[in-house]
Amino acid sequence: MALKYAYHPGNVAHSSATEVSQTMEPTARSLGLELHPMKGATSCGAGIIRQANDLLQVTLNARNFAIAESMGMDIITPCAATAGNLNEDLARLKGDSLLLTKTNEVLQRTSGLTLSGDVKVHHLLHVVVDEIGLEKVSQKVRNRIDFPVAGFYGPNMQQEGFCGGDDAFDPQYLEILIEALGGKPVLWESRTQSVGVPGLFSEERTALRQIASVIDDAKSEGASMIVSACNLSHTALDVYQGKARRVTGTPTNIPVIHLTEMLSFAMGHYNNRLAQLRTRISVIGD
Amino acid sequence: MSGATLLILFGSESGNSEDLATIAEKQAKSLGISPLVKGMDEIGILDLAESKNILIFCSTWGEGEMPDNAVDLWEAANGDSAPSMEGCNFAVCALGDTSYEFFCQSGKDWDEWFEKQGATRLIDRVDCDVEYDEPAAEFTSQALSLLATAGSDGENPSGGEAAESPPVSSTQPEESDSDAEQEESVGGDLEGLISSGDRSLVLLFGSQSGNSEGLASKIAKDAKSYGLEGEIHDMDGFDFNSLSGKKRVMIVCSTWGEGEMPDNAEDLWQFAISDSASRLEGVHFAICALGDTSYEFFCQSGKDWDGRFEELGATRIIDRLDCDVDFDAPAAEWILEALPSLAAVDSSGHFHEDMVDSIKMYASGSSAGAEGEDGFSMPKIRSDPIQVGVSVFRFDPETSTHGTDKWLCSLSGHLSVMDVLRMLKSSQDGSLTFRDGPADDPNTAISVNGRLILPGLCRIDSLAPIRNDSISLRIEPLPGFEVIRDLSVDPWSLERKRESSEPWMVAATREGANTPQGPIGTMDPTVASSIHETRDFGSQNILHSSSDAVPHANGYLGPAVITSSWSRRIDPRTAPSKRSEIDQLLASRSGIKAETDLAPIRRQPSVSSAVYDALLGAKNSVLTADGFNGKHGKHVWWYTWTVKSSGMVNDTVIYRQAMGPFALLGNLFSGVTARMVLGFTRTGGNMFNGMLGMVAPPAGIGKMPKQFNSSVDNHHQVVAIFNEMDGRF
Repeated sequence: MALKYAYHPGNVAHSSATEVSQTMEPTARSLGLELHPMKGATSCGAGIIRQANDLLQVTLNARNFAIAESMGMDIITPCAATAGNLNEDLARLKGDSLLLTKTNEVLQRTSGLTLSGDVKVHHLLHVVVDEIGLEKVSQKVRNRIDFPVAGFYGPNMQQEGFCGGDDAFDPQYLEILIEALGGKPVLWESRTQSVGVPGLFSEERTALRQIASVIDDAKSEGASMIVSACNLSHTALDVYQGKARRVTGTPTNIPVIHLTEMLSFAMGHYNNRLAQLRTRISVIGD
Repeated sequence: MSGATLLILFGSESGNSEDLATIAEKQAKSLGISPLVKGMDEIGILDLAESKNILIFCSTWGEGEMPDNAVDLWEAANGDSAPSMEGCNFAVCALGDTSYEFFCQSGKDWDEWFEKQGATRLIDRVDCDVEYDEPAAEFTSQALSLLATAGSDGENPSGGEAAESPPVSSTQPEESDSDAEQEESVGGDLEGLISSGDRSLVLLFGSQSGNSEGLASKIAKDAKSYGLEGEIHDMDGFDFNSLSGKKRVMIVCSTWGEGEMPDNAEDLWQFAISDSASRLEGVHFAICALGDTSYEFFCQSGKDWDGRFEELGATRIIDRLDCDVDFDAPAAEWILEALPSLAAVDSSGHFHEDMVDSIKMYASGSSAGAEGEDGFSMPKIRSDPIQVGVSVFRFDPETSTHGTDKWLCSLSGHLSVMDVLRMLKSSQDGSLTFRDGPADDPNTAISVNGRLILPGLCRIDSLAPIRNDSISLRIEPLPGFEVIRDLSVDPWSLERKRESSEPWMVAATREGANTPQGPIGTMDPTVASSIHETRDFGSQNILHSSSDAVPHANGYLGPAVITSSWSRRIDPRTAPSKRSEIDQLLASRSGIKAETDLAPIRRQPSVSSAVYDALLGAKNSVLTADGFNGKHGKHVWWYTWTVKSSGMVNDTVIYRQAMGPFALLGNLFSGVTARMVLGFTRTGGNMFNGMLGMVAPPAGIGKMPKQFNSSVDNHHQVVAIFNEMDGRF
């Protein structure tokens, strides 16, 4: 039986990371996931709106939760930052009954919605490992991801209680998934580090150093490719890697793809893109 | 650890026993034991008698028969030339199958044979059914732990008594009656032990500068709590041979010059190493050595006393402690283990190991109930040994080289990380450097698997998931600091930043409230609570390190200084002029704006939500004061604005508004634009979308292009929420 989820694509899957939404759909189909769009759902705020007005972000996300509750489904997202931010606000609302009451008053007045707090937020990675199971995933593999892959989690969803059955500080879900897809997981320390995305426009030099440091670690440990569980980090590690090299002098040339891309390639979708990726790894990559 | 040697024998038909022997061999090596693994057909019966410690893994075959490779040895063992095994410690792990009548018969035979030949049973035999992994692993850990804590070969680690209880079969639930025994001890035997007979503790100090004498005095005072009568003696003029009639001796001795005894100890030492010195059988001793690691012969005097007491037949009750110049903290920890152990030696010289915990409880004043039942102290929950892979970052400043040392150990899960570090330093590598101290000392902070912790407060089994029956600990210095050596970091960079923030209070003149006690300054309780919560972040080193931006942002004050400053900023007692100074500091390039991401700080278990709230509060305050101008302000403003406009993020608008035309031009030449638009390294995303995103809308127009970001359903609800919660957008 298909697993049904209310689908939140993250903040940039519709714009600067369209490959995520493109590959999420066939991946879900192959894995037996039914994704139901959350009609009317807004951005999770990415921790940015919080800097302007904390309660505004909480209320916007309360509306997102209420929409999922009205659908009778838990939320799934392929973005670690979105999973982290949604979980953070959900935990606050569940842990503070006064806040929940006040937020519901606002929701009622503005949207006619009420949040009970029964909804849960899952990242795709945790659904794949905890709910679908790696055995089933490996049975679906058509193209083995047969090269050394460094899995990047980022810091947002690696918090106690936010990352399914995985460990927040010594995670292994990406590694065992890579193995199930026929790849060789690379063990590296920086996989839960921040690459400074929230400060990329304002503190660019610092963020570029963070990006270079993370990529350098992955390359030092022998990775041929980085796979990111976060839409934002994926974009930053990919698009800004050349600039990071110029600023820091650290070699940063490495393909970076998103988790949904890796899953879809392994399951036989977009064979031309996988071929292109293989070429980049063997020719362009260091 | 002991440096003991161990013969591991396996009698195997299908290879299971051999596998277990191989596992035990690895485990033994990690504990500092020298193991030798032999099949039973690779050794003669007379060779057995030369081994002082023997571990046996033996399966049973057919109708209770020995496996093929054990038959000859068994026959020899029952022949005329069977040797005496006196002085040998042994333990047997028997493998079998309960569906057979003679379950584990071979193991039982060996167990009885060793006992009959005079050997001492280290721990009870374990009889394993076909599911042998878990009981065998437990057996191995227990036996090796005992051997590891033992002294030289042949010493009986279980305290001189062979086990008297019947063998335990793993096929039945093992019922431990240790709790009941402990209760009985507390209520009955304990009183008898600590209140009758000779309870003297001879404390000898060898001192040059007075440190050893002072420490001995302190120990003598503490000894009373354990039912001991401390007798302090200057080594100068002490009659060494009088020790032979004593049961408990503790030596506190410093080292002088090139490994020499202090002046007051020299004569006693010369006598001790002479032929006139009496044997010390029946004496239990403990040595605390004081020294200085900057000298070549670190703690040599203490080491000399330790070795000599052992040579004279005395029993070491606890491993020697070698202290560096900062000896207070390690000595205090050591005393907490040494005194209860010495107190568990009765007037006949017998050591009651099972009473040590009861004596600790007695000394802490909690003998009436279990630890923790007084409501003030947390009970220490003990756990079984687990395999622990420990990897420790090493850095040598002299050669500027760094690397990682790895150990595989069998350790109890309830040990703290600090315990593990101390153990590694004392038994594996004396040069391992870390900041030692009391459990709550904020300067001891380190990183374990990315968790920033105080190592004295964290159990090892709480820091990593148990995978394949083992856990891995990656121990590193705190990030964001300069490393002095190994795990020790230099906190002065943070201290200088703290100093530059001028953290002191400049108080405002306030009107006091008139109370019956006179005019007094008051504060709203919620404000006071908030300020207290914000400042109460424990280790400022940990908070500073929790930011992933700190190692990469030059000059950034870091979250510890920012949080402290913010707590001063929201304090109503702070003068307006000081608040203004703090505002300038927070808004500066080294202030809160330099933090690129708050998520790494929030996820650290040691960082409270109050600190996270404080950092958010500081950022919001700075951005609001700036009118959301500048790159930071524009980024936050336009992000929020686009969400209000459509419900979704329009990264094109944010990109253009936050960065401005010059930065965009820079990105055009730096390759960022090329990678984004042309999909240079991407896997074939829609190039057209990316290109449109770069060219429209023109910067400064401030209108949302509907064609690129259509509004979400029920968008009016989003606008209504914005209007209700924040009218600025």
